[in-house]
Amino acid sequence: MREYYPLTAAQKLHYNWMKTYRTQQVSGVSVVASLQAQLDFGLLKKCIELEFERYGCMRIRFTKPDDKGEIRQYLISKETRDIPIKDLSGMSMAAADNLMQQWAYETFDGDDIPLCDVTMVKLPDGYNGFFIHMDHRLIDSCGLVVMINDLMQLYTHYRFGSPYPDALADFEEVLKKDLQRAGHEKRFAKDKKFWEDQLDALGEPLYSDIQGPSVLEEARKKYGDPKLRAADIELHNLFVEVKDYCLEPEPTKNLIDFCMNHQLSMTNLLLLGIRTYLSKVNNGQEDITIENFISRRSTHDEWTSGGSRTIMFPCRTVISPETDFLSAAYEIQNVQNRIYMHSNYDPALIKEEMRRRYNTPENTAYESCYLTYQPMPVKMDNPHLAHIPQHSKWFANGAATKKMYLTVSHTAEGGMNFSYHYQTAHLEEHDMELLYYYMMRILFKGIAEPDMSIGEIMEQV
Amino acid sequence: MTKEMQFKTIVAQYCKVKPEDMTNETKFREDLGFSSLDFMSFLGELEDTFDVELEEEDVLHIFTIGEALALLETLQE
Repeated sequence: MREYYPLTAAQKLHYNWMKTYRTQQVSGVSVVASLQAQLDFGLLKKCIELEFERYGCMRIRFTKPDDKGEIRQYLISKETRDIPIKDLSGMSMAAADNLMQQWAYETFDGDDIPLCDVTMVKLPDGYNGFFIHMDHRLIDSCGLVVMINDLMQLYTHYRFGSPYPDALADFEEVLKKDLQRAGHEKRFAKDKKFWEDQLDALGEPLYSDIQGPSVLEEARKKYGDPKLRAADIELHNLFVEVKDYCLEPEPTKNLIDFCMNHQLSMTNLLLLGIRTYLSKVNNGQEDITIENFISRRSTHDEWTSGGSRTIMFPCRTVISPETDFLSAAYEIQNVQNRIYMHSNYDPALIKEEMRRRYNTPENTAYESCYLTYQPMPVKMDNPHLAHIPQHSKWFANGAATKKMYLTVSHTAEGGMNFSYHYQTAHLEEHDMELLYYYMMRILFKGIAEPDMSIGEIMEQV
Repeated sequence: MTKEMQFKTIVAQYCKVKPEDMTNETKFREDLGFSSLDFMSFLGELEDTFDVELEEEDVLHIFTIGEALALLETLQE
């Protein structure tokens, strides 16, 4: 008997974006993973089929929306679709990447349909592997990395006799536990109180834009409200460009050492870098909110069950310019730690509460920047493949729900990659250059002189 | 199952150390590799499982298994 489940808060986040922006494209996630080696594609196909059996989230389907627009999810027992192979080896790697980028723009349209496509690919320069295109309601980037590694462990087991990969947690069981936790009355009341206490203490948040205060001023004129504290989100032109900047291994090590020596997490240091930039370009604004994505993967079962667990919460801090850099970092860390404890809450309820309290106009936001810190690289972590060159790449879905979304990840060489996804309707590459340049200046000034005040740092960089 | 073992079984879900290998001196971050997210999620699970309310001030002073167990005892008294 098939069971139907409601969506989790993380899945609802994507579903609500799909409804607001009227396209499934905003929920697409795509990655290619390949090795510079001959692959047995017949065996690879068998391993992909086996992965569909092992990793339940790949078999999720959604029902047609009911009269209230709600959908439910269920798992099909077996995926029977073919897994095609495409030969792109005759083109340059740039052209192959460009073609796969076009695949990443494709949408899954319909109800009760498969939302996971895997294509085996022969790439230029002797690289071979697979391209995965999925709906984010099925999986997040951590889940994809776990899946790629599991799949390649299956391959090396059958090809080279390496140990069979450890069992993965049952997606359906973890889903049930999540839904049960979300419905836990006491837990829900505590989480609700935490988020509402923050609004009681700090009042209505204040928008800060990477382009400065003119954006909020325009919104105030548009709505005829000189005290408006939120600004419009882009609903029509969602096209996004990506600009990557790589921080070399040595300065990266300096950032990591600073975090280690001061018991800080990298996420909080990065949040401090972005918020200080926002403050600098918004006339020293002290009240800054950034949307920060949280993986919500802590237990073994959460790590290996797949699914879409990542969820974003507003990280709001009010920091005066007199505060020194290190104290500001700890202030953010305290806020984030409290958020972690209440991260089972549905962030849509926080927005609903703000709309209720402050009559925020429809389709406006208090944040312009979103951050994901991704400590796991897309790398096949497998001793049999350790010395084989790899080509792995995430592809943007081409439709951003966010004005600027920064993903920070670690590179194989020990550096860090800063990947800025920005809506071209309002931003240009030069805006990202400025943001990256000042973020780095702020962070390195701060770690060199942690007693220096935020105000002084803003002046000096 | 004793309360201590129940507690350690929860801890074990967040790390690769078996409950029987944990001592009162075992540190969450250094020995078990807990991140901030792991630790705060774990505290949330403790609250739900043992039906207790953890105060922020108390939580700041927990570094080891023994300290967490002692706090749990106090809260359940």
